[in-house]
Order: sequence, then C-alpha cells, then structure tokens
Amino acid sequence: MKLPRGLPGRQELVLLGLLIGLLLLAGRLAPDFLTARAQIELSTHVWELALLALPMTLIILTAGIDLSVGSTMALCAVVFGLTFHAGWPVALDAALALAVGAAAGALNGVFVAFVRVHPLIVTLATLAAYRGIAEGISLGVPYSGFPPSFAFLGQGSVGGIPVPGLLFLVALAAVAVIVKFTPLGLTLSAIGYNETASRFSGLAVTRIKLWLYTGSGLTAGVAALLFAARRNTAKADIGTGMELDVITAVVLGGTSIFGGRGTLLGTVLGVLLIHETREFVSWEWSRDELNLIVTGSLLLVSVLADSLLSPKKR
Amino acid sequence: MRNNARSLLLLLLLLAAALLVGCGKHTESPTASSTAASGGKQITVCLLPKKKGLAYFTSCADGAQQAAKELGDVNLIYDGPTDGAPEKAASLIETWTLKGADAICVSPNDPSVLAPAMKAARAKGAHVLTWDADGQPDSRDYFVNQATSEQIGGALVDAMAKDLGGAQPTGKVAIVTATLTAANQNEWIAMMKERLKKYPQMQLVAIKPCNEDQSVAFQVTQDLMKAYPDLKGVFGISSVSFPGAAEAVKQAGKTGQVLVTGLSTPNAMKAYVQDGTVKSVILWNTQDLGYLTVYAAEALATGKLKPGATTFKAGRLGEKKIQGDNILLGNILVFTKDNIGKYDF
Amino acid sequence: MTTLRDLLTRQREYGVLALLLLTLAVVGAINPAFLKIGNLRDMLVQDAPVVIVACGMTLVVVLGEIDISVGSQMALLATVLGLLTSPSHAHWPVATAVAAALGLGTLLGLINGLLVTFGRMPSIIVTLGMLTVLRGVSLALLNGQDITDLPVGLRVFGIGTFLGLPISLCTALVVVGLTVALARETPLGRRIYAAGSNPEAARLAGLPTPRLKLFAFTLTGFLTAVATIVHQTQFSVIQAGVGQGFELLVVTAVVVGGTSISGGRGTILGSFLSALMLGMVGSMLIFLRLGVSATYWERAIQGAFILVAVLADHLARQRRPRREAAP
Repeated sequence: MKLPRGLPGRQELVLLGLLIGLLLLAGRLAPDFLTARAQIELSTHVWELALLALPMTLIILTAGIDLSVGSTMALCAVVFGLTFHAGWPVALDAALALAVGAAAGALNGVFVAFVRVHPLIVTLATLAAYRGIAEGISLGVPYSGFPPSFAFLGQGSVGGIPVPGLLFLVALAAVAVIVKFTPLGLTLSAIGYNETASRFSGLAVTRIKLWLYTGSGLTAGVAALLFAARRNTAKADIGTGMELDVITAVVLGGTSIFGGRGTLLGTVLGVLLIHETREFVSWEWSRDELNLIVTGSLLLVSVLADSLLSPKKR
Repeated sequence: MRNNARSLLLLLLLLAAALLVGCGKHTESPTASSTAASGGKQITVCLLPKKKGLAYFTSCADGAQQAAKELGDVNLIYDGPTDGAPEKAASLIETWTLKGADAICVSPNDPSVLAPAMKAARAKGAHVLTWDADGQPDSRDYFVNQATSEQIGGALVDAMAKDLGGAQPTGKVAIVTATLTAANQNEWIAMMKERLKKYPQMQLVAIKPCNEDQSVAFQVTQDLMKAYPDLKGVFGISSVSFPGAAEAVKQAGKTGQVLVTGLSTPNAMKAYVQDGTVKSVILWNTQDLGYLTVYAAEALATGKLKPGATTFKAGRLGEKKIQGDNILLGNILVFTKDNIGKYDF
Repeated sequence: MTTLRDLLTRQREYGVLALLLLTLAVVGAINPAFLKIGNLRDMLVQDAPVVIVACGMTLVVVLGEIDISVGSQMALLATVLGLLTSPSHAHWPVATAVAAALGLGTLLGLINGLLVTFGRMPSIIVTLGMLTVLRGVSLALLNGQDITDLPVGLRVFGIGTFLGLPISLCTALVVVGLTVALARETPLGRRIYAAGSNPEAARLAGLPTPRLKLFAFTLTGFLTAVATIVHQTQFSVIQAGVGQGFELLVVTAVVVGGTSISGGRGTILGSFLSALMLGMVGSMLIFLRLGVSATYWERAIQGAFILVAVLADHLARQRRPRREAAP
C-alpha cells in the first residue's frame, strides 16, 4: 500500500542530502563528533523526542495535532514521583503513570473525536490544564532517588545500544508494521485528505482518532518514565516546549500539517536531522542562541524548499 | 522528476554546508580545542550558568573571562540554556564531557536533574565544580560558595526587617519568585521562612511566581498591593522579579509605604535605590565569583589545588579560604544609596 | 442572512461577557477591592498588549491562518528599541527609534505573510520557525546584558497618561475601535470574512485572498510593535525573556473569544472580552487570598477556564443548524 508517489520521496531525499551535508561538514570541522562512542552517548538526548514523534506523525496525518504531549509528560512524571515517594512499589508507580498518560490522551481524544472540538483548541487547553495539575499536586517539588533497576531503563544499554534507543526501535517497528501491513496506514491518510468522505466510506473515524490521542498520551507516559530514569528526577516542569520540538521534527520529515501526506521514514529522518544539527552546533560552537537560529532556519528553509518545488495545488 | 531531485539535492547540500560554515564565522565564543591532559598546554574550562542571557550571569562570565586571560592557559567556554531548562544544561555537560573538557563549572538550576551528568563527568576524569548554587555533594569536587541559601534567605529577611525598622518589625510581606519549580529560589524561600520566625510580627501572606517575566512581576505586585492594602514589604528574589516589583510600587505611588528588597545586579536597581523605592539590594560581587571559579577550576585541573587544602591563591583575590569542600568567596554585599554608585554590573 | 450570522456570532460574545461579569461579581463580593476603579484600570492596562495584538490575530485566524511568533517578535522589538534608545548604545532620538520599531514589526509581519502566501507554507510552520529564529536573534543581539538606562522620552509611552488614562489603555481602545470599524464597515473587512468563511467561493469570486492574508499578517506585526512600545516601556529594564508565552495568551484569547480556528467566524469584540477575562485569572487568585498553595493551581485554573468557554460555545452551537463541513 503505497502513499501517493513523488512528494514524500522528494522530501526524504532532501533530508538525506542535508544530513549527509551536515555529517561531511562535521567530519571536516570536528571528527571527534562522528565517532561511534560520541554519537551513541549524544543519542541519549533525543529518544524521548523520537518516541513522541511516532504518534504525532499519525495524528498529524489525520489533520490533527497534539500540543499537550509535554504537559502530559509532566503529569505522568509527577504521578510517578508522588506514588514512589508514598512508598508504593516502582512497578505499580510506573503502571499508574502510564495509565494517567493514556487517560489524559483519551480525554483529548474524547473532545476531538466525540465532541468534535478542533484538536488545536483542545490540546491548547490541556497543555495548560495538565501542566497546571502537575504543578498543583506536586507543589513544584522534584522527586528523585529512584532505584538503580529503574535507572537502568534510562541510563543502561544492551549490546552497546542505550535502552531507550531499543525501546524506540521496537516502537518504530511496531508502528511501521501497523501502518504498512494493515489498512490503518491508508486509513489515516484518507482521514487526513477528506474526513467526511472517509466517514461516508464506513471508516471508523471517531474510534481511530480516539485511539490515536490515547496512544499519544500513553507514549508521553513512557517518555516521562524514560526521562525520570535517565535524569533521576520527576518534576512538574519537564517536557516544557517538547510539543513544538516534536512537531518541528515531524513536519521537517515531510508530513504535511494539513494531513494526508507523510511517512514514518520521513519522521525518523526529521528527528535525526534536528538531533544532529543541534548536537553539532552545540559541540562545535557551544552557543545556545545560535542553536535556536539554526533550528528555526532549518525548518523554514526545508519546508519552503519543498513547498516551492511542489506542484501548485496544496 | 529525477533531474529535479538531483539538482535539488546538490543545491541543498551546498546551501547546508555554506550555512553551517557561515555561522561558524559569526560566533565569538572560542571553539573548543582538542583534549588537553592536565598539566598540558591548554585547559578547557566550561562555565555553565543557570540561564544564559541573564545579566547576573553575564557579569559572572565577565569575571571569568578576566581570569582566563590572566591565567593564559585557560580556554573558556561559556554557554548554557537560554530558557534555563535543566535538561539542556545536563545535555551540555554530557557533550562537554565527551569532548574531553578538563573542568566543568556548573550553576545548577536543578541539582537532581544535573547530578547524573555531573557524576558521569567526574567518572570520566573531568573536574566538576559548582558555583553560585550548589549541587549534590557527591556530584562535584568543590562548591565555589558566595553565600549559602541560609545566608541569602537570612540577609533578605534581615534587610526587610531593618528597613521596616523598630524593635519589633511589623507588617505583611510577600515574595515574588521566579517560577514555582525553580530549585534555588525554593531553597531561599524555605530559609526565609525560617528566618521570619525571628520576627513574629512579620507575616508572609503570599508567594507568587513571575515566570521570568518582568511584566508579570509588575502585575503581581500591583495586585498584591491592592489585595492586601496593608502590605508593607515585597521581596523580589530574582533579577527579573525585583525590578518589576519595584516599578509597580513606584508607579502606584507607594514609595516608602511598601518596601521592596531582593536580589539583583546593581545596575538594574540603581534608579530605584536613588529615588528611595528600594533601600537595600542584596547580592555579592558577581565578577569576583566568576573570576574565582575559573581560578579554582584551573588550579584543580593543573593539580595546584589538592584535596585537603585549606587555602588557595586566586589571582587578584589573594588567598581564599576553603572550608571542607566549599571555596569561600567572601560576604554578601548589600547595595544601598551610599555604595551602589561604585558598582557597574 | 447577515442578521442570522450576527446572532450566531454574538452568542459567543454574550457567553464570554457573562463569564467575565460573573467572575467580577463573585470575586468582588469576596474582596471588594477587586472592583475599585483603580484596579479595573490596572487590569485593563495589563491586558493592553494582548488586546492590541489580538485585534490583528483575530483577522489572521478568520482567514484560516495562525501566528505563533508574536511573542518572539515582541522580544526582538523590545531588544531593538532598547538598544536604539539607550544612551550607552546607539542613543538614537526616541521618535526615530519608535518609528524604526514600528517599521521592523511591520517587516516581520510581512515576512510571515510572504512565506505563507507566496511561499505557500502552512502558517503554523512558518510562525513556529520564526518563533525560534527571532528568539535566537533577540538573545544574540542582547548578548546577555540588561538595558537599564532607557530614556524618559521612551518611558512616557508606558507610564504616561493622556486625558487621565494611561497611554497603553488609550492605545488599546483606539486599536480595538479602528479594527472593529475595519472589520465591519470597510470592504476590506468584508472581504476578509468572506475569504475566511468560504475560501473556494472567494477564489471563484475573484477575491485576492493572498493579499488579504498578507495584510492580516503585516497588520499583526505592526500591532505587535505598537504593543511592545506601550507595554515594555512601562519597565525600567529590558532583559532577555520578553514575551515568552505571549503568543499562547493571544491565541487563547482569540479562540476562546469565539473566533473559529477553521476560519470565517469571529469578532474583534469577542477577542477583546476574552482577553480581559483570561487576564483576570491571575489577579483573581491574588484577590481571593487563597493562600500560598493556591498559586500552584493557577495554570490548571486557566486551562479549566479555556475548556469551559470552549465547551459552552460548542454545546451552544450544537443546537443551531449544523453548517456543512468544508471539503
């Protein structure tokens, strides 16, 4: 089941080109950056973003959006921290955090799919609400002191690959299988292209959307746990701004914000490009202001290029 | 179609390369040199503020640059998250560790988030110092201490009490802090509450964040004065909230009725101190702090400073006392009308 | 036809007005100081920048677009304004610097507009990229310093009064008045609403939709400059971090005020009332004297307000005849 040819292919080629260009430059200016050791260690900065980019791609494919992922992360982290602090077993705390994440996503989904409020509005409200609840119940206090077995989830590696990286690869494989080998892949694009027609064609649009947003919330819960394991802290301010970073990566990867067009490969490349650009700018020039300028410009230039070279119709 | 893709690819490759090389020319911060073993030619010292862009930290960095120039063998990198996000700070520490930095000096916005990265840096052979605010004791070699949270909190409350005057300073006070999750402000607040017990007639009625936005600090202070008409004092405990709060008091015409004190660089508060809206500004010599930090870092990296030492010589600051794992800068400075003109930072 | 549309839109404004008055009444009952003229005036002054920019943003959203870069625009404009007027920097005459700031704001809006229309890029992406880039540029320009010596001639915009009212308040009211007039009385305004409510029909009718969008974005940039000039000059120090989160406030005000994110519907008045209502939440908590812990729930309460407002309108709309969903 192939998505319409041409446009997605070009964007991925462009990304690949930019990536190669970046790596060539890095090779010339800072060869240490390209060593396997450096790359693997630096990769630990991006797994949460990568993970969240997966459900976000699917949501944006259906012409939706989820601005609340960062705040959901905070809420899940706080739930985890609170219950851990209360003395409950770690596994239970983690399960609860995931359940809260799924519930938060489901609430978004209910508003979007059943009540039919625009996803931008819903997730704008929950962006404030979820973080607000996290601040309220934690009073800004950080929770830490998690056991080493839990910390392994974020800090450990298996066969040289960091555990969060393995989790991401598993998730990627799972989502890719679902999208490519089940009708779901086409369904999502169809919903994005023309929701009304999809409904009339008998697609379970409402149910699908509900599952997508729930999945996004659940993924935010996983990301929260990974962060807590990696940084040994669960606090109400984590994940701030994460939603914009995720959307940047997904859109950079060629997924159209209007829905209907996009690939997982593109998202992976988008994440990779953002990550490598940021890390390299940080490595070579170590100036945070520069990082902002470069990341923003990258997004603008890349999308502009793709848009100008597309056929006229949007 | 294929031709388009190919030429596009070429064009963008060139564009990307040009962009990145071009960016390199405009930056002014020194590029990191390659690994230097301790005692070798160039020592790489990385200075990490809580939030890059705040004038407070910039003045510390100025002192640090001075020290680097004097020492001659220090390659100083000053960078940090412009939004103060602890995660970004932790990532920076990890990057510097990978590049083989000799010394990493951290002002932690969130000690527990930064601890794993700091510990990993030490494990890989870098010397880790904290400055301006302390981290977890096992995550750093030394803490360059200008003042403990207790001293800061105490100085703030004492200054307000003195300004209120009288044997038993009386009145309602409020605190305008940075954000609700700012670890350091929260510590100071805890210490302030402790010190307030010494003045039973001073009543803390509200703690409000300004989310690092001067206009919010302004608005919050305005509201506080109206909601509590008998409010006597406001603490602005960040360099963003202090000027905003003072401005609100001034514009409300309540100069002298509502006292404002807090932490800030003297330049930001000069006008308010001169017109009497603010009687005391609490801080310390930030340039000296940066200066001392770099000297300490270099001394550690070159072996001049060994564990167990009780003093060490820090350039123009002379002999500095070391108490356990704290390198002491000196005292808190209180800027008043009498002395604020002398300082320019 | 017009009467029906007016009625439909007015319902949301009534809803927001009702919520606004209800909140004033409840909080005022608990703490009468909330209703004092001085406090109401101060609240209006605090809301002024959001109101000013929301006027432009309403038109942008009516046309089916969005601009989340206004906060970063404000940061850059404040930085430039400070650097130009400060005696220890460029030390330009205030009038020239203000003109330059207005020009720069207009230019930034124009760039957004051009990228959206002729660049054919989605506005959320354009303004997301600009949000990041402009913030980086403003930080790089300011280079970690505070600008603490703003001349009195500049500060007058923030703290001066005109006929007894603060200049920022007067400016906000003038901007609202002019934008309402533009939207309701001029052909340009009518075209904007037409283009927004049915882009396909507008295109077939020959409406210059790209030019309308260009206008809306440019206007928003200009208004952001105006807001910066009357707001940031209230303070004696220009620092890094100006305008963080500002775009969220403006978009929320516009959306909660009844402007549909899918375009075509929404009023300036609704945005205005909504900006006032949302601006009250923070002050409200202080006046209610709920104590220190309540502060931690402030953001949650804001989110709740938004949800309630949106839900209420949505449910109200369910009872009206459903519009045909745009293809």
